[in-house]
Amino acid sequence: MKSIKPILTILLLALSVSTHAQTIKVAAAANLQSVIKVLGDDFKKRSGVGIEPITGSSGKLVAQISNGAPYDVFLSADMEFPQKLAKDGFAESQPVVYALGSLIICSTENLNLKKWPQLLNNDQVNKIAIANAAIAPYGRAAQESLAKLDLLDKVKPKLVYGESISQVNTYITTGVVSVGFTTQSLVNDPANQTKLNWALVDPKTYSPIEQGMVVLKNSANKADAQKFYAYMSSASAKSILKKYGYIIP
Amino acid sequence: MDWSPIWLSVKLASITTLLLLLIGLPLAYWLSKGRSVIRLVLEALITMPLVLPPSVLGFYLLLAFSPQHGVGKWLHDTFNIQLVFSFPGLILASVIYSLPFMVGPIKSALQQLPASWAQASYTMGKSEQETFLKVLLPNIRSSVFTAMVMTFAHTIGEFGVVLMIGGNIPGQTKVASIAIYDAVEGMDYGTANNYSLLLFAFTFVIVTTAFIFNRNKAKSPLE
Repeated sequence: MKSIKPILTILLLALSVSTHAQTIKVAAAANLQSVIKVLGDDFKKRSGVGIEPITGSSGKLVAQISNGAPYDVFLSADMEFPQKLAKDGFAESQPVVYALGSLIICSTENLNLKKWPQLLNNDQVNKIAIANAAIAPYGRAAQESLAKLDLLDKVKPKLVYGESISQVNTYITTGVVSVGFTTQSLVNDPANQTKLNWALVDPKTYSPIEQGMVVLKNSANKADAQKFYAYMSSASAKSILKKYGYIIP
Repeated sequence: MDWSPIWLSVKLASITTLLLLLIGLPLAYWLSKGRSVIRLVLEALITMPLVLPPSVLGFYLLLAFSPQHGVGKWLHDTFNIQLVFSFPGLILASVIYSLPFMVGPIKSALQQLPASWAQASYTMGKSEQETFLKVLLPNIRSSVFTAMVMTFAHTIGEFGVVLMIGGNIPGQTKVASIAIYDAVEGMDYGTANNYSLLLFAFTFVIVTTAFIFNRNKAKSPLE
């Protein structure tokens, strides 16, 4: 018995340390995948609170939150999902827009993307990746833009659907698709090492991608969650988001 | 209810099972004949899809199928074939992924047959091919059937690889397992439930059939 005691003490210590470590779980839309780490580091420097990002398509995260996922803050890729959470009683705060997303068309091939609407019908373009419009707001925006330009039905046989914008990014950077519709933060990400050819999709062709956030009812650490929520509207968070290609409201 | 994902899954599983039967029989026979190093390595490779995460296979297939380099480029430039995001691509992935389910049971059944049976056939002047088809194969019928059923069921249940290389195209690569995932993510639980119940019942029937077929042997169809 004697020999067990120190081990037990260490175990208990370790347990108490891990439960008291100051971190909050942030469910973040897949388009934030790279910027969320930078935001997290900056927030930790300022507040001492670390964040644990969980990324996925907004729809998937909302499904998880609605079924009791223990996240503290939700950063969506649109306003509809946070509003839905607020309406269903899963949100602690009102949804607020923290950034506007910017949709781009992107390729590893040497294509003249400035004239992409003409290009898509061309044989040069084989497959086109967009995110699943039902759960990923960037997919919705891409679909809207294609419909507005009267291209959706023509290019439908070429479309492949990513389950989130991250999967679309994988399809683009591995070159399995000719072009893909994604977030500008992909090309502004310093960690991205693939040479990419890209062009902005005319923002007039899709409804603005207003990215909203809420603090969640299920949060176990509401004080820190509120701090992060406030930080996301601060000047320093805005300048980071701007650097990654987001438009700041 | 949209039946195309179910139909697609059944089509994928049927074609995969037939192809694997053609590949699996000779392969299992060759593997059962000895214990050389090549056989050992090959058998290890065949068995690996059982233990490797589907993401490993999905990742490498994605790279291999990319029309910008390597095999994918060659296929695209020479035959204008693009395997990624296509039904033939799913078949190829399923053949690799379900290979151990076909080869494993057939090989172990062949090894359990007494060596004297084949030897007796050879002494009577029968060729190796004839011996395999007329002596060995009829005696491992139930194992072959089990292997086919398990291959079929396993392909119906395939998910991770298809998610990575399929592209979720309705009528082409949106198989039942993906349709369920899609419905759950879109919070369309009714549709998810319909597909799931159907798959549950369907695979239950398939696996039960295999158990009934093998009941006299009183052993698990997994052997």
